[in-house]
Amino acid sequence: MILAALAFYLFAAIAVAAGAMVIGARNPVHSVLYLILAFFNAAGLFVLLGAEFIAMILVIVYVGAVAVLFLFVVMMLDINFAEFRQGFHQYLPVGGLIGLILLVELLLVVAGWNLDPDMLSLAAAPTPAEITNTHAIGQVLYTRYIYLFQAAGLILLVAMIGAIVLTLRARTGVRRQSIAAQLARTRAEAVELRKVAPRQGI
Amino acid sequence: MLYGLIVFLPLIAAIVAGFGGRALGDRGAQVVTCGALIVSALLSGVAFYQVAWKGQPVTVELLTWIDSGAFDVMWSLRIDQLTAVMLVVVTWVSAVVHVYSVGYMAHDPHIPRFMAYLSLFTFAMLMLVTSDNFVQLYFGWEGVGLASYLLIGFWYHKPSANAAAIKAFVVNRIGDFGFGLGICGVFLVFGTVEFDPVFQTAPGFAGKTFEFLGMKLDMLTVICLLLFMGAMGKSAQVPLHTWLPDAMEGPTPVSALIHAATMVTAGVFLVARCSPLFEYAPDALAVVACIGAFTAFFAATVGLCQNDIKRVIAYSTCSQLGYMFFAAGLSAYAAAIFHLFTHAFFKALLFLGSGSVIHGMSGEQDMRRMGGLLAPLKITYVLMWIGSLALAGVPLFAGYYSKDAIVETAFMAGGKLGSFAFVMGVAAAFMTAFYSWRLLFMTFHGQNRHPDRHVIEHAHESPAVMLVPLYVLAAGSIFAGALFAQAFIGEGSPIFGASILVLPGHDALAQAHHAPLWVKLAPVAVGLAGIALAWWMYVRRPDLPGKLAAMHGDAHRFLLNKWYFDELYDALFVRPAKWLGHALWKRGDGKVIDGLGPDGIAALTLDIAKRATRLQTGYVYHYAFAMLIGVALLVSWYLYRGGM
Amino acid sequence: MSWTSAFAPVLPEIWLAAAAMALLLLGVFQKEDPFARISRLAVGALAVTFVLVVGRDDGRVAAFDGLFVVDEFARFMKGLVLIGSALAIVLAEDWLVKERAQRFEYPVLVLLATVGMMAMISANDLVSLYVGLELQSMALYVLAAFQRDAVRSTEAGLKYFVLGALASGMLLYGASLLYGFTGTTGFEPMAARLREANQLPLGALIGMAFLIAGLAFKVSAVPFHMWTPDVYEGAPTPVTAFFAFTPKIAAMALFMRTMMTPFGDIGPAWQQILVVLSIASMGLGAYAAIGQDNIKRLMAYSSIGHVGYALVGLTAGTGEGLRGVAIYLAIYLAMNAGAFAIILGMRRRGQAVEEIPELAGLAKTEPLTAAGLAVLLFSLAGVPPMAGFFGKFYVFMAAVNAGLFVLAVLGVLASVVGAFYYLRIVKLMYFDPPAEPFERPMPGAVGAVAAASALFTLLFFAWPAPLVAGAEAAAQALLRLP
Repeated sequence: MILAALAFYLFAAIAVAAGAMVIGARNPVHSVLYLILAFFNAAGLFVLLGAEFIAMILVIVYVGAVAVLFLFVVMMLDINFAEFRQGFHQYLPVGGLIGLILLVELLLVVAGWNLDPDMLSLAAAPTPAEITNTHAIGQVLYTRYIYLFQAAGLILLVAMIGAIVLTLRARTGVRRQSIAAQLARTRAEAVELRKVAPRQGI
Repeated sequence: MLYGLIVFLPLIAAIVAGFGGRALGDRGAQVVTCGALIVSALLSGVAFYQVAWKGQPVTVELLTWIDSGAFDVMWSLRIDQLTAVMLVVVTWVSAVVHVYSVGYMAHDPHIPRFMAYLSLFTFAMLMLVTSDNFVQLYFGWEGVGLASYLLIGFWYHKPSANAAAIKAFVVNRIGDFGFGLGICGVFLVFGTVEFDPVFQTAPGFAGKTFEFLGMKLDMLTVICLLLFMGAMGKSAQVPLHTWLPDAMEGPTPVSALIHAATMVTAGVFLVARCSPLFEYAPDALAVVACIGAFTAFFAATVGLCQNDIKRVIAYSTCSQLGYMFFAAGLSAYAAAIFHLFTHAFFKALLFLGSGSVIHGMSGEQDMRRMGGLLAPLKITYVLMWIGSLALAGVPLFAGYYSKDAIVETAFMAGGKLGSFAFVMGVAAAFMTAFYSWRLLFMTFHGQNRHPDRHVIEHAHESPAVMLVPLYVLAAGSIFAGALFAQAFIGEGSPIFGASILVLPGHDALAQAHHAPLWVKLAPVAVGLAGIALAWWMYVRRPDLPGKLAAMHGDAHRFLLNKWYFDELYDALFVRPAKWLGHALWKRGDGKVIDGLGPDGIAALTLDIAKRATRLQTGYVYHYAFAMLIGVALLVSWYLYRGGM
Repeated sequence: MSWTSAFAPVLPEIWLAAAAMALLLLGVFQKEDPFARISRLAVGALAVTFVLVVGRDDGRVAAFDGLFVVDEFARFMKGLVLIGSALAIVLAEDWLVKERAQRFEYPVLVLLATVGMMAMISANDLVSLYVGLELQSMALYVLAAFQRDAVRSTEAGLKYFVLGALASGMLLYGASLLYGFTGTTGFEPMAARLREANQLPLGALIGMAFLIAGLAFKVSAVPFHMWTPDVYEGAPTPVTAFFAFTPKIAAMALFMRTMMTPFGDIGPAWQQILVVLSIASMGLGAYAAIGQDNIKRLMAYSSIGHVGYALVGLTAGTGEGLRGVAIYLAIYLAMNAGAFAIILGMRRRGQAVEEIPELAGLAKTEPLTAAGLAVLLFSLAGVPPMAGFFGKFYVFMAAVNAGLFVLAVLGVLASVVGAFYYLRIVKLMYFDPPAEPFERPMPGAVGAVAAASALFTLLFFAWPAPLVAGAEAAAQALLRLP
């Protein structure tokens, strides 16, 4: 048990520190790398909770795809990040104060939290003991939560449409291969035989 | 469906002609409105047959209007016998006037607007008479007021027309204020504004009192008096009569429709409709009778000396309305409505006939500049005779049946009130006959006194489109009385059925048939005497009126200036109000409010506005920061309250 | 339960989503410019959805284990939202063509946003709340940036997106706190837990505060309103119109259900917050609008103010108050549709104009348009007997009857100040020398919408009963819950 607790505090501390560094790092590439670190630690926390499937998804999707995409974008865009930081110090005192107040308040709330003993039994969809949680998610995701699943799919569709609408430009003057047209050509229209007299040219 | 069409056809016509006037053109607007009104008139004939003749009242529910807590109002059409009679009067006279207007307004540049207003008025009036509750009644009541305002001020470039329109509106507001209070009173006492429940429970409230400023007042009496106040304003009863003569500034068809046949009779209709309330408030009835009798007399005296042809008829209308009210005040509602019915025909005829005269005289209205029109205006002359005979109550003409019934009722009612009404009624009948023939003789006989030769030579008969409506009305003036007398006020078989309530002790009308012979003959006799006197003074000895006026200068001036009512009101109300307004404007508003305003609230508002705008910097992080502050405040609040 | 009956309650949503995807395919594969055709078809799809929504009358039905619920309230609000979306498409067609931004994705995105809004209205669980909200918001972010070659439009889209993400974060944080402290995400079980708890868990309250913050962002209540003026000004005008009268209704409906179902028993706890939000919104809406010269910005502040008035009714928390909000939203939809139709018709020399002084002397050049706009502005200001007056009247009466006198009085004062800037436009139109006339004729559909909504606001008083009855049924459905 003590090992689990130790691991929890380790993962949690690193996750928070990495989160702070995402904001604090000077170089945006470093920020993204810290973000990946934070994701890894979050995945560790999920493992501790017994949610291996989500932990793996987090690593594969967020680290493997999203964060790497971020990395590409940040590297490809030539943005002067120093300009973004202007005014950071100017707003730090007020912003820090508000953040601190909020933090203290939330700590107070969580500290005053008496965990209700039946709380865990109230979980919306408790994992059955005998099957893996991949199975368990599969059992509810397409039955009980089909509505949410489909709605999430629609959200992705909207995001895709949005990306296309905002960025796709039909360029003029692009030559494309038209296989059908190529295949439909007959010899008559493609080739012409001419008698060429010597030294005359066409 | 049938009843809905009667009421809404004029509205549709008004909308079409009013908004589509430019597209339709003058002719189109005339065709649409006249057509709608004629169909409506024919349908109301059917309705009259079904409802009044066969005695089958109906209520048509249209839709729920206001549904707020205990205050539940439906739009519905209540067609009972009383309404059926009013429907016939309103739609027929209106249809006739519409057709007449085609000729009368032929040279006006705003024909579609005029026709639309006329139809709109008709709709409002139909709404009024078909209402099933007090709120809908009020809607129609205000609607006719509005249409009347628009029509009196139709020639808006004439300052006198504008002034008259405003005067009509303001004087009516006074009455409407009382009427509105009356409706509030009804709702407070009965808890509903629907006619049926109110009338059914009314007997239970008879004689109950409430305290107001330390006085014990009878509930029903107060409500009835407040309602009657509205009726006084609308029906031009003393002391709220001053607007009616001025309203003659409007085009003549308007005078005939609104200020003779329909709108001004709304007050009489109201009293008859509320007979189940008034019957339990004898004091209110006495007031109604008194005011009616006095108005009948007063207006007739003023009519003696007026020189404007339309004003003479306007005062005559006022006087006839007085008859109707004192009949209603003596519980002879049926007689009042009967007189309303016949009066609509002959008074519209007189107005439209005078319109024909004015038309022929190129717009001249002063009788002192007329005379000798017999030759060019023969048809009009005959028609005016018919109208006057009916008005004076000469036997066999329509007015004879209704007016005699009222005078006889007054006699049989007895007591101080009945005697007063009887004397006033007979005196007014004498004067009515006198001024009617004074009008006829001054207009048609003798020499034409107009200073402009051109006008005299140009005098001409009206076109057929104006004369045909007059024939219709003339037929009504001759036959309406004889045909319907039995049905309306005959013994035993009144057609009104349950729509009018008369308590057992109040049946003076039923006994009117048993009046002594001299009472029955009295109105006719004084009427003939009046005609004879007019003939003597204006045909035989045309110098007499001038001499008489000179001899009794004060009395003449008193009558000519309409008992100085306008001057009295001017001194009592208008000038103090103007002074107060001026004082408030200069001192109250100018010094106090404006003094504080620019330096105070207005400037402060602009200052705050500037600050509020400056918050909006355009930077996303400012916005995000504002949101964070907001959420931090919310959380802090809960922590501070410790979870409430 | 057979699968047909299980899916029956979501039939309108399924149909609309399927229609949106079908139109998307049609648009992609059609050769000639598909914009006009897809717009019409989208309006048709919305009409069918409207029939599907309003045609069913089977009381309260829950689906998917209580994630999704259909009741009178949902039907009423969905009806409004569907009308709003259809109007947004109808109004946009001509404008987008003239601005050469007529891409067929516009109607498709509006349809998908509408699916999201319907999901929000029917949400009965924190997760379905979030999913619906996100579906709607995602489509709106794209729509705000729809004129991608205009800097202002992209800026608007980006601002809305960033701030919207922050708001979603707050909302999710609140949702997770609530889940942690009550052990459930379902609205009804949560209500039961909060009712049974002998002491209200503070964490749940804080969670609720975060949740309210997120929702307040969506309805743009002060202090979460800051995005509104910038986004309204920058977004293409038809999109602004859409923002003003459709998502706002859906978000308000979501707000109402979220306050009334899980937190119905702890009314006093959230009333204290809503009072402040409401007063601040009414005040800012009234004051900040005064200095504006851009009519779209003005409408943004106006919408902030109107949200404040609607929140008055919600704060009252009684059946009367909820009914007032429902009526208010319906009238608000009508008024804004008309006002924006007229704004969309403001074009001069091929350019859309948005500055208020351009309206000067409109009464002389176009008396009918000016009269219509005057009616709508009087209504927005709440002058009787226009419809807007009744909207305010119902919510203020509810506040007074619920004992919230201060709120009602401040609301009336704010509407007096607010009347100032509406009437300023009326004065400009009627008493100032005319500016150059606008391009005419106005497109038929736009003119028709303007005329219809002006007539509605003008004549509402004659027959308010059906709307009031519908709103009453909606309010009762929300109150009657277990």
